Amino acid sequence: MGEEKHDSQDIDLQEEAGAKFHRGSALSIFHSDRAEDFIALLCAMLIALGVYIMV
Amino acid sequence: MVYTKKHPALLIMGVIFVAIAFLTDSGSMAGLIEYLSAKKYVGEMVAMGYAFGAIGVLVGLWHLTGSHEEGNLDYYMSSVAGAIFILLVAMLIRWYLAPLVAVMSKAIGPVMGAKYLHQVLGLNYVVLGILAGIIIVNVFRIPAWAENGVRLSRLGLKTGVILLGTLYSLAELQSLGKLSAIMVGFFVLGSVGLVLMLGRMRNIPNSMAGVLSAGMGVCGVSATVAAAPVVQAKAVEIAYTIGTILIWGVGCMFLFPVVGHILDLGHVQFGAWAGTGILNSAQVAGAALAYQPDGIETLKVAEIFNITRVLFLPIIVLWLALWYVKHEGEVEGQKIKVGTVIFEKFPVFVLGFILMFALSSTGVFAPAQHYKGKYFDNNVKESKLLKDDQIATLNAEAGKLQREDRKLALTRMLENKKIMSIDDETVIRGIYNAKIFSKGANKVLKGATKAVRHTAKKISKFRQWITLLFAFGLTGLGMQITFAAMKQAGGQPLVIGGVVGTVKAVLSLIVIVLFVHETI
Repeated sequence: MGEEKHDSQDIDLQEEAGAKFHRGSALSIFHSDRAEDFIALLCAMLIALGVYIMV
Repeated sequence: MVYTKKHPALLIMGVIFVAIAFLTDSGSMAGLIEYLSAKKYVGEMVAMGYAFGAIGVLVGLWHLTGSHEEGNLDYYMSSVAGAIFILLVAMLIRWYLAPLVAVMSKAIGPVMGAKYLHQVLGLNYVVLGILAGIIIVNVFRIPAWAENGVRLSRLGLKTGVILLGTLYSLAELQSLGKLSAIMVGFFVLGSVGLVLMLGRMRNIPNSMAGVLSAGMGVCGVSATVAAAPVVQAKAVEIAYTIGTILIWGVGCMFLFPVVGHILDLGHVQFGAWAGTGILNSAQVAGAALAYQPDGIETLKVAEIFNITRVLFLPIIVLWLALWYVKHEGEVEGQKIKVGTVIFEKFPVFVLGFILMFALSSTGVFAPAQHYKGKYFDNNVKESKLLKDDQIATLNAEAGKLQREDRKLALTRMLENKKIMSIDDETVIRGIYNAKIFSKGANKVLKGATKAVRHTAKKISKFRQWITLLFAFGLTGLGMQITFAAMKQAGGQPLVIGGVVGTVKAVLSLIVIVLFVHETI
């Protein structure tokens, strides 16, 4: 149980210059904030297109 | 590393979604839905149940039976399990738990004026979703198969913010833009300056003060990470800052709605306060939706403030870079290029918001002159025309009007029993916003403007998408708030952060109560 809790608490662990810290609530599966921004824009455009065509 | 887990969880969640949709559609859950007063969610339960159920079952079967190799397909498709996990938690809370809490709260009776306990405490699907996320990650654990999907929640929030651009009219954006530029400009620059000043007074390292000022002034964790390299912040200083911001932000997210309800703030007032006083973008959205869970007027105001704040990020990074060089001297290998800093730190999703607003302004989603997602059309039913007693009420107070345009618009409305043009509607709205008439007469005016305003179907659909994306993003956000991250806070940064955060929240509340009204 202790090991499992440790895993979950480390969900936001980030390493920079050899030191580790918890990143807090700004996690992403993308390699950069900019990549995430562009994917969000693409998702929004797809949703908008879907709404425009189907509603 | 292969990220996709051969686990039946996604398949099981898909089956649960399909079962909810089927049982709701067949009427088997009618009794429960009636008891929970959750009829407004029936459409969602069926449509989303089948849609998410189908995705869950199909991808779940592939996760369970397919062969997975390291690569982009494996990495990104593995996130579907976590995304469906967040959605299942968020929707079970929205459809069943939050209505149950409301039923129990109503059984207790009103506790503050006409408000029930769950309204005062803001115990709606947004707050309960975030709380559920916090409990899952800290008391239980995020299952390994869901970890990658939990990281998708910020993408959901950003997509929601971009789509919000479809809901604003030019008039709204102009009014809110001016107000937010003044408010946010003053408080962001003030917070950064105050942290830097307190940092020097308390003798903390410049790198620590620099990174803390970005976090406390601009937009929390993202600003902290963006500013860290220019002030050469060490990992431990970033950790201190993030811990401070997280404790402050999470506290504000739950506290602001309660204070807002106690002070009975309007949607514009609360949105402006949350957008100015709360640090993290996600927590601003959380507080706004917690304050008004069944509408997004507060969220719309809060997000304009939030976007304005995010736009200050490149300016603050530049300021800190120059400030750091001034106090520490030129650092070898670090040349500040203004253009590069602005280009690298500019948040592109804000451009997406502006693009969506521009697209909406062309009239592709609703008539271009829409106001708050509603467009003007005065072909109204007989039952929506003004009644004789309502006309008498307005006639009795017409003498209070001084301006000629107001007198003429009211006269035309009384003669035709309805508002005759979009210009007249703007003038009539001005009369009731100015509160010239009594409450009863104002109610009649408001009814008359409502009768000629119609919600565009596409705008309604966007509202549903935005609600879904924010519910997803905020429940996922809760699953990232670990006690370990908050425990990083401490020492001088926590003291300075607490002082600056409190000053900003209290001062901005005072300014908003005194100068911001519901006239936007």
